[in-house]
Amino acid sequence: MAEAVTETVIIGIGEYRVGRMPMSSIGLGSCIGLIIHDQDRSIGCLAHVMLPESQGKTDRPGKYADTAVETLFAEMRAVGCRQQSLVAKVVGGASMFKNFSGTLNIGERNIIAVRECLKAKGIPIQIEDTGGAEGRTVTYYPGEGGRITVKKADGRTREL
Amino acid sequence: MILTATQLDAMRELGNIGAAHAATTLSTMLQANIEMSVPEINVIDISQIYKHIGDEMAALVLFEVTGEVSNGGFVLLHVPKDSVIRLTNAMLGSTEMEREMTEMDNSALLEIGNIMVSAFLDGTAGLLNIIMLPSPPQLVIDMPHAALEAVLAETTAADINEVVLFRTELFSDRYEIASNIFLLPNQPMLQDIMGRLEDLVRGM
Repeated sequence: MAEAVTETVIIGIGEYRVGRMPMSSIGLGSCIGLIIHDQDRSIGCLAHVMLPESQGKTDRPGKYADTAVETLFAEMRAVGCRQQSLVAKVVGGASMFKNFSGTLNIGERNIIAVRECLKAKGIPIQIEDTGGAEGRTVTYYPGEGGRITVKKADGRTREL
Repeated sequence: MILTATQLDAMRELGNIGAAHAATTLSTMLQANIEMSVPEINVIDISQIYKHIGDEMAALVLFEVTGEVSNGGFVLLHVPKDSVIRLTNAMLGSTEMEREMTEMDNSALLEIGNIMVSAFLDGTAGLLNIIMLPSPPQLVIDMPHAALEAVLAETTAADINEVVLFRTELFSDRYEIASNIFLLPNQPMLQDIMGRLEDLVRGM
């Protein structure tokens, strides 16, 4: 390949990053890959959200839907993004296991929490690939129009 | 979550004995020699789990540990897709590799998983002089990281930032079958095991 290779940054469970480099979250199950992209400036952020509510915790803002949306929005504003340019992409929230006793279906709750928090901030969801029973690996390219790819376990990769 | 070096060693030794029992049962089922890697035990931050478990398609047979320890710890048998097919083939005397996984593979995985994990827990619990039993298995054929993070999110009542992960690899050179056994104790289960170990040492 002749094109310049840019290192993809892996965002682990509960982490987030802001930048122009490609970012990826590997093996999303019930977790959500939450992307907020600036359509005018080739910059954005990705958080690997694990749980719907922070319940007052502030040490890992990327880990919870409520603090992740709040923090990503603030970070984007801090680097000079206009609110009207921001769109969200939401990936993950699968139900990997059918019948755990007392399962709370955390995947579904994560999806709902992320949607509600984004709505409250006035950020439209441009792309959503959520639910189902399969894991996903998401990769986000802020510098290429904010395109994302979603890979499944069997290797099928879709451009979204 | 803090484990001292001594406690980590104790956990590694417990897992080692369990894994040796599991290897023996696999060896009997396949009538082949089974090699076992040196077990690893790590305290891992949740953000770093992807460095230990990836997104390559594999079968995961998941058991909750029950019995005379606090519930909420898990044992996972992880078998990569190619090894699943070789494993079923070895059991059934078939050699066809160019096929998709079928119901037959699922049944074989659940059965082998049950036998190996029961042996793993027997070995571990025997040393502690208690009883540990596996719950009925759950089979997932997907990305191991996705399954593990779902286990952590859905089943740990406490909101955790670190996990203790024990891992050992069992493999058959003859059949080119690789598999991993993971033990994922939660904090109450760890405390029970450590308390039990201290009692045993004191009683010696």
